[in-house]
Amino acid sequence: MSHNDEIPAAAHGYIALTPAACTSCMLCVRECPSWCITLESHAVQTSEPGARRPTTVSVLDAFTIDFGLCMFCGICVEVCPFDALEWTPRFDYAASDRSGLVQAIDQLSGSGDQR
Amino acid sequence: MTPAAPAFRLAADPTVRVVVANLGLACCSLEVDVAIQRGLLVPDEDGAGAAHCVLLVSGTVTDVLAPAVVRHYEALPGHVSVMSFGACASTGGPYWDAPTVTQGVDRLVPVSVYVPGCPPRPEALVAGLLALTAEVSA
Amino acid sequence: MRTVESSRWWEELSALAVDGFTYLDYLTAIDRGTHLDLVAHVVNPDTVEHLLVVAALPGDSAVVDSLVPLHAGANWHEREAAEMFGITFTGHPDPRRLLLRDESAAPPLRKSTPLPARVDTPWPGAATAGGDDAAGRRARRQLPPGVPAQWVAEGP
Ligand code: SF4
Ligand code: SF4
Repeated sequence: MSHNDEIPAAAHGYIALTPAACTSCMLCVRECPSWCITLESHAVQTSEPGARRPTTVSVLDAFTIDFGLCMFCGICVEVCPFDALEWTPRFDYAASDRSGLVQAIDQLSGSGDQR
Repeated sequence: MTPAAPAFRLAADPTVRVVVANLGLACCSLEVDVAIQRGLLVPDEDGAGAAHCVLLVSGTVTDVLAPAVVRHYEALPGHVSVMSFGACASTGGPYWDAPTVTQGVDRLVPVSVYVPGCPPRPEALVAGLLALTAEVSA
Repeated sequence: MRTVESSRWWEELSALAVDGFTYLDYLTAIDRGTHLDLVAHVVNPDTVEHLLVVAALPGDSAVVDSLVPLHAGANWHEREAAEMFGITFTGHPDPRRLLLRDESAAPPLRKSTPLPARVDTPWPGAATAGGDDAAGRRARRQLPPGVPAQWVAEGP
């Protein structure tokens, strides 16, 4: 749409996730005043060569933002210590049913179908 | 008696003609006015017979106003598609926990399209109208 | 700000009106936990001076004189404060509910009144980073910010 050009890049239209940067720390989930972020993760033990004992890291399994509830406050973007969440100017994600506003990792990271 | 709702064409696709009854209940309604002022929605003088009539619920639906929303929906003639514009209309949004706010206009009337945002941009309104008319004509 | 005795609420605001504070801007209440503060903001339209008048009311018997005969504009403010905070305004000419439908609902702006949505909705933050560990133990249970522990304990 030609009107796209007028939207500043810094516009708050959509919150994108970089899954590789997310450590599943849950900070965004817990700070969100709308309770509209969900996250599932599981722990795996990794042992670095030469390390004394294995370390436990969380692996991200699922992450959703319910844009039907999200109040665009930006708290999640602000609190993420790893800059895994960021604002993007995207606006064209209207949905014909309520569940379509719940966006999962594929959509949030732009790796899947944009709708 | 509801005053006749105004008709518009979309600047992005002038073949799309819609009658828009804007139920502006809170701040989201301003975005609708901006869409008109910026020329994204073009007033369509002789479009009163446009096929698509959209009830645009833009803003917070309180329980006190809920019956008025239903009456407004029932008073519109012909086939009416409801657009839930913004988080408040869709779920209650920032007021999702308030005891006086309806948790989504879809609890009152059937909703054809949900436009996310708090508030959604004027462009999101156009995108929502395009999605809605595409669906209705499909 | 001026703190007054709740028993002298009417007298104090009448005296202020005589002194020129004839405009009631708003009236509301604050739940302090130990008691309620009833707050009126009055303005002198000639000098544009303004004043907050505060009276403490006991939470379990919050009764005070209505200001409506003095300030007609207090009507809806008092009806709202009555239903939201459980305050009785003696002498109010029209003490119907203003915004709430349910006659039996507990006053929602009292801190002791649970918000049903915050109790019924599972908090997504309760999940543990990394999920339950191998032994099925969970990390210390976290509570959602701003939701008192007893609401969660009591459940819906
Ligand atoms: S912007 Fe605010 S409401 Fe939306 S997901 Fe982030 S923290 Fe939650
Ligand atoms: S705050 Fe950032 S790193 Fe932590 S769970 Fe949220 S997105 Fe992932």
